[in-house]
Amino acid sequence: MAESVMDYAVNVADRLKYKILAAHINTLPFYHDGGKRSALFASAMQESALLFREKAKTKALDIEHIGDAGKIGKVVKRLCHSNKRIEFIVIDQGIRREEVASQSPVPVFSVNYTEAKAGQQLTTTHHKPASKGVSIMSTTSRKRHAKSCLVFGGLTAGIYAAIFANQDIVMTYFTKGGLYALLPVATVFAVSYAHGNFTSSFWSALGIEGSKTTGKQAEVRKEAEERPEIRKDVRPRAELNV
Amino acid sequence: MHGPVAEILQFIDLTAYSITFLFVLGFIGGLVSGFIGSGGAFVLTPGMMSLGVPGTVAVASNMCHKFPKALVGAIKRFKYGQVDIKLGVIMGIFAEVGVQVGITVQRYILEKFGQAGSNLYVSFIFVMVLVIVGSYVMRDAIKTKNAIGDAPSPALAKRLQKIELWPMLTFKTANLRISMWFLVPVALATGMLAATIAVGGFIGVPGLMYIIGATSIVASATELVIAFVMGLGGTLIWAYYGTVDIRLVMIILAGSLFGVQLGAIGTTYVKEYMIKYVMATIMLIVAVSRFFAIPKYLNELHVTSFTDGSVSFMTQLSFGIMCFALLTGASIILFNLFKARGLENALATRG
Repeated sequence: MAESVMDYAVNVADRLKYKILAAHINTLPFYHDGGKRSALFASAMQESALLFREKAKTKALDIEHIGDAGKIGKVVKRLCHSNKRIEFIVIDQGIRREEVASQSPVPVFSVNYTEAKAGQQLTTTHHKPASKGVSIMSTTSRKRHAKSCLVFGGLTAGIYAAIFANQDIVMTYFTKGGLYALLPVATVFAVSYAHGNFTSSFWSALGIEGSKTTGKQAEVRKEAEERPEIRKDVRPRAELNV
Repeated sequence: MHGPVAEILQFIDLTAYSITFLFVLGFIGGLVSGFIGSGGAFVLTPGMMSLGVPGTVAVASNMCHKFPKALVGAIKRFKYGQVDIKLGVIMGIFAEVGVQVGITVQRYILEKFGQAGSNLYVSFIFVMVLVIVGSYVMRDAIKTKNAIGDAPSPALAKRLQKIELWPMLTFKTANLRISMWFLVPVALATGMLAATIAVGGFIGVPGLMYIIGATSIVASATELVIAFVMGLGGTLIWAYYGTVDIRLVMIILAGSLFGVQLGAIGTTYVKEYMIKYVMATIMLIVAVSRFFAIPKYLNELHVTSFTDGSVSFMTQLSFGIMCFALLTGASIILFNLFKARGLENALATRG
């Protein structure tokens, strides 16, 4: 969690005499990497929870930490319903506000914090954002991509070597027609699996990946639009006769 | 590497030049396909033929490389939440019917007017469709670019969506509900165009955008599913007659899968109108290229009498312009991808 967000939350809570409920939400709990991501998430959460608690302690504020998993909008909705006294939500940097706001029954705020602003402050408390957990995660994901790049690259090379080393046999059988038609089709499926994964992790390993800000746009907009219309309440009411 | 079989079946020998040529062509074609949902295929068939590959083998191999490429692209874009599988599969199945209709029409014209007449028909359709649809898409792209905020969905699509005609189909990702009766003609036209000029997407994507009412991102992503369904069906037929040269397919695939991934990544960075813009640019340039191919067929029909020299020059020019179209599209995509990435990175380090 970015320190600027914690500072903001602590300041506001202090002024309004509110309590803080810090929710750490793992958005990809079932990510396929042998639980590495989850472990990293847990450690990053512990780290920022510790920092947050200290900050809250200086102002003598009540703070509670919870960990949860799932789609961020859904978790927020759930929390707001189970925990009735949430007045508003402050989201961490890197979370799409629309995604939260589309599901949240209470106002959602995000904190803008630029380096330029940090310079303007008189006290030069130029803290780096709590990047430890984040940076570890990005390097491991790069490493993971490089590894799968090697694995699938090897597999692809194997398929290509097998086909091109035995060109004559391959061409004899693959062009026989009839049921043999399944041979080239099966081959290209194998190629698209191996080479497709290879090329995917190849670009990822080079750091060329889909945009994080616009990628989910279609999905988010859909969720926002799918919310049912609020219908007029026409249920019968008891009326008081005076 | 002269296998006796290879000689009998007239499959070409591979040289370093032809391998590099196909790889690069595959990469660029893949890049464009990943981005706008189709394209690239129209250069590969003449490209392969220029290497001496017989026409049928070139068409079959092109088809066989198309569907795995579309599959990989569709999977990638599905991860970005852009693909409507249901829409793609339904469209794909009817497009397959359209392909068969297209082939029948082609065969009829071939019998009635001969090879040159058939070629002229193909070129005529090519130029007509590309100019009309291409300029419409271009106009719309410019309009959306200048418009502030989100572009409203097209008026025709909106009107069609309101017509409740059984059976109504609901598409969740594309976020629309439309009668099957409007979906089928678009799919049939896509298939027919694919059978005629090898790129159904030039009808399929604009059709999805303006008639069905999907966004350009969803339309181009869904077109990949249509191309997969259509390509798989076509490949099974071609392979049944033993005309697929798997070596060519694999070389092109080696390049095009790199491209298709990059093209798909590109869609997550650009604005909606960019897809329309790239598509229209390619369509209009290709239309020019096909225009230069027409004199050759007119000559064969004895309608005009250009000299052999000028005809062969125009044929080469036509292929050159086609490659130029793809290169232009590819450079626009790459330029925008890296520009947007640079911006995003700069923002990330600052904030």
